[in-house]
Amino acid sequence: MIEVHDVRKQFGDVKALGGVSFSARDGQITALLGPNGAGKTTLLRTLVGLLKRDHGSIAIDGVDPERDPMAVRRNIGFLTDQFGLYERLSTREYLAYFGELNGMVGAALDARIDEVSELLSMDDILERRTKGFSQGQRIKVALARTLLHRPRNLLLDEPSRGLDVMSTRALRRALMALRADGCCVIMATHVMQEVTHLCDDVIVIAKGHTVAQGSPGDLCRRTGIDSLEDAFVSLVGEEGIAA
Amino acid sequence: MKPRFVTVMLKELRETLREKRTVGLLVLFTLMYPVMFGVLMQQLIDRATRSEREGIELAVIGSARAPTLMAQLKQKNINVVDTAPLDEAAIQSLLQKGKVAGVLRLSDKFVANYTAMRPARIELWYDSAAEKNSQRREVEDVLNAYSTNVASARLLAHGVSPATLRPVDVQRYDTGTNASRSAGLIGGMLSMLFFPAFFCGMSAAVDSTAGERERRSMEVLMAQPARAWEIVTGKWLMAATLAVVGLTLELLFAHGVLSWLPLEELGMSWSLSAVDIALVCLVAVPLALLAAALQIALAMNAKSFKEAQSTLSLVLLLPMVPGVVVSMMDLKTSLWMYAVPMLSNQTLLREMSKGVEVGALPFLLTFISAAVPALAIVAFASWRMKSERYVLAV
Repeated sequence: MIEVHDVRKQFGDVKALGGVSFSARDGQITALLGPNGAGKTTLLRTLVGLLKRDHGSIAIDGVDPERDPMAVRRNIGFLTDQFGLYERLSTREYLAYFGELNGMVGAALDARIDEVSELLSMDDILERRTKGFSQGQRIKVALARTLLHRPRNLLLDEPSRGLDVMSTRALRRALMALRADGCCVIMATHVMQEVTHLCDDVIVIAKGHTVAQGSPGDLCRRTGIDSLEDAFVSLVGEEGIAA
Repeated sequence: MKPRFVTVMLKELRETLREKRTVGLLVLFTLMYPVMFGVLMQQLIDRATRSEREGIELAVIGSARAPTLMAQLKQKNINVVDTAPLDEAAIQSLLQKGKVAGVLRLSDKFVANYTAMRPARIELWYDSAAEKNSQRREVEDVLNAYSTNVASARLLAHGVSPATLRPVDVQRYDTGTNASRSAGLIGGMLSMLFFPAFFCGMSAAVDSTAGERERRSMEVLMAQPARAWEIVTGKWLMAATLAVVGLTLELLFAHGVLSWLPLEELGMSWSLSAVDIALVCLVAVPLALLAAALQIALAMNAKSFKEAQSTLSLVLLLPMVPGVVVSMMDLKTSLWMYAVPMLSNQTLLREMSKGVEVGALPFLLTFISAAVPALAIVAFASWRMKSERYVLAV
């Protein structure tokens, strides 16, 4: 459960977040929609406690990331727009490193690596060094790292980019399994089809403000537009005029 | 469960050791100095002992024309080699071979001029580039003495005191010994022994900070449940481990080379026992820690591997400064020198190699003067990593 209330953040004169509020519930996949530069990256960094907010409150399973960033991070799987692989380590070593950083050890860690590898069907690259991996292989490794420590909350920044059809399906299966487990998943994406198929809830942000939150159906009804894409454009546009 | 900084350190270490370039440099720096040192010292020793072993060889053309001079040369331990007449080119090639210190050529008219009391010409051919100048000077001394003797005899025959010819009597005293001549060089070489502390961990320090940033994996790492100090400390200890290992091996290797060389020939000594060298290595550990801390703290602010490398090559000049200043100002060893990192290690080693009992305080000062700033720099780097400006730039 991630609750955000009126979070603002300013860098010098630039207002990155001007008031973001939403709540992402457990057992749901929440889409984070927003044009480039809307403040998604800043928001995600604030959620894991890398940045401090100027105003507002954040509670992740009831914990404020500013108060106890370590506790929050232990319960978050964070997939950034950069994969952050180490070319001289094999996939297994890479996963073991992040597992240990998250407090996992020994046989339990090994077993979990195998489990995640099976979930994302990446057994073939598990023992290989990550140098020369394709885009799809890279994102799989990064996703495996995100899921490894069984976080209750997932922050995914465009997880499906660069994936082929098979991998996209594997990812979708993995996300649905996480939802069934009762995880809280926030997924920034630009693929509307994915949102319609997968997401229970949608947050639209533009220019650092929350514009709307609701199910894809809600958003369409509210704007009176049938297609989610058009509804999104209309919502973002409205805010643009308002600002 | 192992502490997180150990996890970070082991991972960085594993990654570094898989890179051939870094390991190659490490081995190179470890071996290069002692080998260089050994070869240079060996040459120095050879040169110093050569003139004692061998007499001076002098080729003489037309030696029969001045038997007295030849006898005087032989008296001074100069080996006269009778040589057939040679032309200029032949003399040159003879000198180039380096066997003889010079070639004396007595002209055909020598005897006639000598008996007529006209200046009788003797040519001395030598090669000033051939490092035989001291030998040449000995030959010239004999020639001068011979000339003076003859002049004195002639004056005496005319009833003039030979003393008129010598208004001034110059006596030369050379206080320089082989040891003092080589002392400067050896001091410099001993100072060089500590540079691997700065070289060995550098590439790894850059790769694990600026490199990690360039590859865009730093943000991921910073979003893990690991504190900034745990990340910084892990990377720091990794770079420091390489520096400590490199430096220790190099010092031990150098110790082996120096113990084996016949330094007594230069009037020098290398009187370090196994315990002494162990102590020197031990107090060099904080120096490696300090070097690694400095490199991590600077490299983490660079955006790319290249940028970090150019910053750090400037920093490499830093440890040379105290040693150069002290040798330029010709300062005597005093206690404050042990409070300056790098200089303290150099001074300590120099004093100990002379066999001076330095006592415990210099060791303690050397250790603390490097360890305290190392910790302070790591604390600063951790604070810096936590700052928003750093997060934003990652």
